[in-house]
Amino acid sequence: MVLDEKDNRSPWEKIGDYFSANSVWMKWYCTGCGAIEMPPTMTSRFDMERLGMGPMATPRQADVLLITGYLSTKTLRRVIYSYEQMNSPRYVVGFGSCTVNGGIYYDSYATINRLDMYLPVDLYIAGCMPRPEAIMNGFAKLIDMIKKGEARGWRHYQENYEWYKKNQLDSLGEVIIKDEFHE
Amino acid sequence: MNSMNSMISDIKAALSPLETSEPAFRQIAAVVKPDGIHGALAYLKNKGFTQLCILTCIDWIEDSQFELVYILFSWTDGIHIQLRARIDREKPFFTTVTDIFPGARYYEREVHEFFGVEFCGNEDLYKPLFLELWDDIPPLRKDFDPQAYSDSKFPMRENANEFLSMTGGGDDE
Repeated sequence: MVLDEKDNRSPWEKIGDYFSANSVWMKWYCTGCGAIEMPPTMTSRFDMERLGMGPMATPRQADVLLITGYLSTKTLRRVIYSYEQMNSPRYVVGFGSCTVNGGIYYDSYATINRLDMYLPVDLYIAGCMPRPEAIMNGFAKLIDMIKKGEARGWRHYQENYEWYKKNQLDSLGEVIIKDEFHE
Repeated sequence: MNSMNSMISDIKAALSPLETSEPAFRQIAAVVKPDGIHGALAYLKNKGFTQLCILTCIDWIEDSQFELVYILFSWTDGIHIQLRARIDREKPFFTTVTDIFPGARYYEREVHEFFGVEFCGNEDLYKPLFLELWDDIPPLRKDFDPQAYSDSKFPMRENANEFLSMTGGGDDE
């Protein structure tokens, strides 16, 4: 995503961003192998709570949506549901090469190749999978971006909603979830 | 090993398989005719093979056949048995085994989704299990091209530089 906007936040938004950057609550969607890198990041060795980040139970309470790996089309429908339940400002972090360009699943019939066609990704953490050091580095960068007002993906999603919706429908057919648990 | 030898001779006597082998330690593989699968499963279940570990399928496209593979496990003897049967690929119909192993309901739905084999008698067969809104031939058939499907549905990222041609290959000097 090209960030060509200037920092035109109001003072109150700057204050809000300053405080929300210091308590970032996240919802991670354990889609791929990246979920296994989260427990060492959360627990005593790397301890991401010292950055003010903590896990949250529902998307409605979370600020950050972590996409930890490849996304199948079936999962992407649920991820879009989760993302649209979150309150603004909301941020998306893509983990690993699968969210960047499909990774080793570039030719799979079931997984998407580019996450930023469907959701506004503020930050990618490269790697296959990224180690906890890289994840901590990425989180520090995300917090910095929130403080400076550079993480504007949620606004981009609002302004370009038709473009995102068209991409979602082109790849998924429908975003409506129809399975036997939702009958 | 005596239990293995007696088990193999029992299977040969009771099921008259086309072929038996021992692929690995405490494993037996038997090829049977398609209409012998139900009798074989019922017989083996009475012999203590109470767990259906998996039902899966292999696409032998050059022979124009699907091979159904049933793997059973006995917790009393610690033996795996693999039953295989080939059905016609052009008319992929088979009868459900849910009356013998109720858990096969989900395995049959999976095989139906990924290979297109119809299991007559399975009520849930047409409900989507893994693939939602699938619009092509079943994806694990050998004549399905995943690259073409992925290219038509999921856009690739366009790189400013094509790194593969810059570093690899050998034709670029």
